[in-house]
Amino acid sequence: MPAILEVEDLRLHYLTRLGKRVQAVDGVSFQLQPGEILGIAGESGCGKTTLVSGLMGLLMPPLHLSSGAVRIAGRDILRLPPAEVRRSVLGRDIAMIPQGALNSLNPTRKIRDLATDVILAHDEGADRRAIQERLRERFTRIGLEADAVLNAYPVQLPAGMKQRVVIGISTLLNPRIVIADEPSSALDVSSQKAVIQLLFNLLDEGIVSSMVFITHELPLLRHVAGRIAVMYAGQIVEIGTTEQVIFDGRQPYTRALMGSMLSAEPGQKSRKPVAIEGAPPNLGEPISGCRFAVRCPVAQPDCPQRDQVLREVAGRHVRCHHAH
Amino acid sequence: MKLLRHLLRSPGFLVGALLLLATLLLAFLPPLLMELDTSRRAGLAYMPPTSGRWLGTDHLGLDMFALLVSGLRSSLYVGFLAGIVATVLGTLIGVYGGYKGGWIDDVLTACTNLFLVIPSLIVLILLSGSLQEGRSLTLIALFIGCTTWTWSARAVRAQAASLRSRDHVALARINGYGTLGIVCLHILPYLLSYLFMVFILQTASGILTESVISMLGLGPYDTVSLGNLLNQAIRNEALSDGAWWAFFPPMLLITVIAFALYVLNTSMEGVFNPRLRK
Amino acid sequence: MFRQHPTLRYITARAGWYALTFLVAVTINFWLPRLGEANPVDTLMARVSGSMDAQAAREREESYLREFGLVQTDDTGKILRAADGTPLRTSILTQFLRYLRMSLQGDFGRSIVQHPRPVSDIILTALPWTLALQIPALVLGWFIGNGLGALAAYRRGVLDKVFYPVALLVSAIPSFCFGILLVYIFGVQLEWLPTLGGYDEALNPGFNAAFLSSAATYYILPFLSVFLLVVGGQAIGMRSMCIYELGTDYVRYAKLMGVRESTIVRYMFRNAMLPQLTGLALTLGGMVGGALIAEMVFSYPGLGLSVLTAIQSLDYPVITGCTLLVTTCVLVANFTVDILIGFLDPRIRAAREGEA
Repeated sequence: MPAILEVEDLRLHYLTRLGKRVQAVDGVSFQLQPGEILGIAGESGCGKTTLVSGLMGLLMPPLHLSSGAVRIAGRDILRLPPAEVRRSVLGRDIAMIPQGALNSLNPTRKIRDLATDVILAHDEGADRRAIQERLRERFTRIGLEADAVLNAYPVQLPAGMKQRVVIGISTLLNPRIVIADEPSSALDVSSQKAVIQLLFNLLDEGIVSSMVFITHELPLLRHVAGRIAVMYAGQIVEIGTTEQVIFDGRQPYTRALMGSMLSAEPGQKSRKPVAIEGAPPNLGEPISGCRFAVRCPVAQPDCPQRDQVLREVAGRHVRCHHAH
Repeated sequence: MKLLRHLLRSPGFLVGALLLLATLLLAFLPPLLMELDTSRRAGLAYMPPTSGRWLGTDHLGLDMFALLVSGLRSSLYVGFLAGIVATVLGTLIGVYGGYKGGWIDDVLTACTNLFLVIPSLIVLILLSGSLQEGRSLTLIALFIGCTTWTWSARAVRAQAASLRSRDHVALARINGYGTLGIVCLHILPYLLSYLFMVFILQTASGILTESVISMLGLGPYDTVSLGNLLNQAIRNEALSDGAWWAFFPPMLLITVIAFALYVLNTSMEGVFNPRLRK
Repeated sequence: MFRQHPTLRYITARAGWYALTFLVAVTINFWLPRLGEANPVDTLMARVSGSMDAQAAREREESYLREFGLVQTDDTGKILRAADGTPLRTSILTQFLRYLRMSLQGDFGRSIVQHPRPVSDIILTALPWTLALQIPALVLGWFIGNGLGALAAYRRGVLDKVFYPVALLVSAIPSFCFGILLVYIFGVQLEWLPTLGGYDEALNPGFNAAFLSSAATYYILPFLSVFLLVVGGQAIGMRSMCIYELGTDYVRYAKLMGVRESTIVRYMFRNAMLPQLTGLALTLGGMVGGALIAEMVFSYPGLGLSVLTAIQSLDYPVITGCTLLVTTCVLVANFTVDILIGFLDPRIRAAREGEA
């Protein structure tokens, strides 16, 4: 089966007002199969958020496309006219559940109206009654009390419910690919559980089939993702199955990252979280050699000299010429 | 402090501060460098500027430049005093209400809003108009201070309220410090840079208010001020005579001060309002 | 019924607060002029007593005292006297209550300078001029200013780069300076437009073409003086608010979901208007003050000029009558805006209904 999402050597950069160029995504390639859930892990500043903007086809200044392609069902969305992107790609081909949904809902508009705006923007019929019925049915299906929630203003809803509303709106048009950007952080534990449960429900019901899941929480990665890509300094440094990446990481950064994530799993309690020293490189300057070399615990003298590529090691792809 | 560094980096703040400094220089430097006499006639009425008389003469033949500097100093004095009064009043009310919260805060806020809604210009007109003889610079300054404190009360209250929930304040309360103690030791020190900005703004605002009042003829009696100069210019038909030097310089100074005030205010908001500080 | 209608409770609460504010305003209006030494009766007497003998002067003085409510009278209007024949003075509290009662009825007494012309007559002559100037200038200025600001924020093009610094400069100029500047440039130097007054003094007021066209030319400069400043101020504020709204998470999310541009513009406008309205409530007093000052600068025959001449001639009843009227208008306008915001902002509405 052809991949539903194909990212080919994507490079994205920011142009600051002073003319400085920051290469936030520097050569990312991966594929997403239909029905697959890919997790993306990495420190803040590694380029996850920029990558997501690129995947959505939403490139607004100061973000620019350096080179590369993003193909959804074979169609390169980065080369489509903006009107077409708005109409058929956003929300339909690919939809995002943003981080911090608490502010993602227009405070002066009822939930019902926000959802209707989304539907109307995609020319999916102007029959008001049909739209309202559809909203009702969908919201009930995802476990929200339709009438109460639809008539409410965002300020009247608790945080956990707002996040679920956002998930509901994002998946309203049954998008082929859903990108979930830290959907459950900044929520209390019970709300987190409800959100993850909702995502699973959507998967089970077939409303959502393929997902890209961005998170820094290990248990989530383990339970949700089938494959994991680890990002560092704008590049993927390791990509493989969940088991491979979490328990048998071959890239030093992967191992360090997994070790730094707190885990309450049985058998892991004895392991202490180890913070990675140092900071990611400045992507505004040209970089040569391995980007992780400065902080790598097993760095060799030749690491800062050799530019790294993704190579196949032990059944997954690793960006480290010393990995084996 | 970190805030001061932020301020110094914003262009608005620098422009505003520079302009105010320039006006201060204009007020205090010339008397040291040359002889400025506002009582001796320097020529005929409304004579245009020459190299000797930089800004010509007014309707009485007095040197306009000397009058301008003297007027600027009076206006600065009024603004300064009004600024102190307004800032002190506003701070007292704002800090007390902001820190205490609860019904005290509600009452004080209601009071502040009350005086905010009633146009201060009207109150000033009534105040000044009722006193014919005794309108000295100091009295006018007090009037202005007592009617323009509402802005600083609101601003300071917001800051004090945000400090209320800080740890060190809670700690002090647990340790048994009274309201006065906490306010003096734990709240005011953190507000010092903010209060300084508030004071500058109230001073500039005081200068502007004085010029409005004086222009209407309700200003200080027998003392030259920027507004008074404008009032004289209008009354003696300097406008229709084309004697621009009689009203344009005071107007320019007033505009410069108003502009500096506006620009400082905007930059200050940008720094002190965390919502805008993205 | 009261309990179930949070809206009614809200309106009543706000109305109550504004009534209280009105009371304070009336009190200030009453007390402040009395701080000074000036006594309206003395001023009037000083003008007429020269030509009278002692007896006539005393009778005239007593009639003035009675007119200004400074002496006690019985039901027929005869003055009550003390044992030695001098009239009994009313207490200051009685004077205040009388003032309050009269003000609520619209009776502001008589002018001192134009005695015996009633103050309300003076006000009613000047009021139409003020309304004709201020209402279009302020209202149009507010709407156009906000519209331009939104436009500048949305299309950050040439319009924004040129418009913004200009508007910044213009709005910082104090209103009276701006007025003087306009008069000087357009009236005196270029002589395009007349400078002072409301109409050509050679003409008689009336609804004829000559008068109306003359009034129209005299209208332009004062109108521009108020209008341009309001536009500048509003545009700058609205532009900042719109820029802020355009950068919010919810706009980003709407764009991510492919919502139409026109819808997003509507979001931005609606959400930016709310703080503008709130700001209006705070600056309304200042705006009206600035507008009155413009009238004074241009000697435009409205309330502003009436107040100015009254100040210069110490005509207290006129001063207090005008100031009370202006203050009342400001309070009413503020009240309206308050209620409007309460209805338009769902956050306030929700908070209110949460208390039900």
